[in-house]
Amino acid sequence: MWVSFTVETLKFEGPLDLMLHLIHEQKLDIFDLDMMVLTEQYIKYLHEMEDLHLEVESEYLVELATLIEYKSKKLLPKKADEVEDDYEDPKDKLVRRLLEYQKYKEVSSALYDSYMDRQNQLSKPVSYDEIIRNQNDDEIKYEGDPYDLLKAMNKVLRRVQLSRPLDIKYTQKELSPEDRVLQIKARLKDLPDTFSFDTLIEDCDSIREYVVTFIAILDMAKNHYLAFTVDDNENIWFTRGSNNE
Amino acid sequence: MNEETLKEVKIEEPDFEFEEVKQPEGSEAIVEGLLYVVGEDGAKIEQIAMAIDKSEEDVKVILQNIQHKYASELYGIELVNYGKMYKFVTKKDIYPYAQELFGSSKPNTLSQSALETLAIIAYKQPVTRVEIEELRGVGAEMMLRKLQARNLIKEAGRSDAPGKPILYEVTEEFMDSFKLYTLNELPDLPEYNREEGDENLFE
Repeated sequence: MWVSFTVETLKFEGPLDLMLHLIHEQKLDIFDLDMMVLTEQYIKYLHEMEDLHLEVESEYLVELATLIEYKSKKLLPKKADEVEDDYEDPKDKLVRRLLEYQKYKEVSSALYDSYMDRQNQLSKPVSYDEIIRNQNDDEIKYEGDPYDLLKAMNKVLRRVQLSRPLDIKYTQKELSPEDRVLQIKARLKDLPDTFSFDTLIEDCDSIREYVVTFIAILDMAKNHYLAFTVDDNENIWFTRGSNNE
Repeated sequence: MNEETLKEVKIEEPDFEFEEVKQPEGSEAIVEGLLYVVGEDGAKIEQIAMAIDKSEEDVKVILQNIQHKYASELYGIELVNYGKMYKFVTKKDIYPYAQELFGSSKPNTLSQSALETLAIIAYKQPVTRVEIEELRGVGAEMMLRKLQARNLIKEAGRSDAPGKPILYEVTEEFMDSFKLYTLNELPDLPEYNREEGDENLFE
């Protein structure tokens, strides 16, 4: 039997999202906002985040400063002539922002539904080649913004993907860091005194191989086969290490 | 495929007779054929009108007829019009079977922050990064770049505000992705008034 349980991990899209949650949780009236309760709960939440060793992002601290500023102003006696005509009460401003944010938050769920609906509607790529092939392509001029180009490229990639066979078995070309160390050692004979990381990864064609190469050179540096420096442009340069003479 | 496997391939005769195919006569059949050819790219009314040498009004009627025809439960595809592009797509109930056929594939998805950012741009466009950040209370730079890379938003000139910040608006791809003909089709933004039932604001 399956026992289902939920671990409540609250994820907020930002300080305003958090405040809306707190207002709801504390059953506060957003149109007559109790700033004291909100500030108190807000701080409590940030502390909890810290207790869980979650990084409190700076955006949360910015809004905390706003809340505290409001609180401190309330404590100070006000001079009558300080209130200007076009002065917007920080509380009103916060409420206005919360309501505005709430609108978009709410409407985004409707957008999500239509997005997912659209994902379920499939179409086929344009029957392109047959028609285009006969056209004169002497003059190729490209006018348009780079995102059209990006879109076109995405389409090419999608077509490549679609032209793959239905069933594929993937077998990864396994290359261990140890093997890679041997390969690099073999290549060292032909390499100049100083060479860059880019040279080493010339024969790699997957991110996995980059990573394996990186692990291999770390290992080689540890064993003093290689020494490395990093220049201002973040290029990694290698020279032969003391263990290599 | 190498020669050996070529020999093994048996060409099977279909065990039913195909009927003789008749060529299309009416414009409706021709337009239907064109829509099949353009596939996911879709076609605008003007483009079809030019190709078949008919008025845009005529084409509109033809498209309506096709749309009506495919709306029937007899068909697995439908004619849609997203961002003024007419295209054939499969009806959404086909999707689980397509998944079955291709092996499982996961649909694309958008994060909550991506959706909120898109919503703000779609309702307020053209809009600057700072306006989006002010509204959401969080930085938007990375998200804007991601959405641009997915071709859902684009830069649309610069605002006259100090610093001439870049303005953003949604793309045709956005219209397609959210099944919209025009931005007017977006659901109305909710209005909150303290007078009427503010208790259920969050329910």
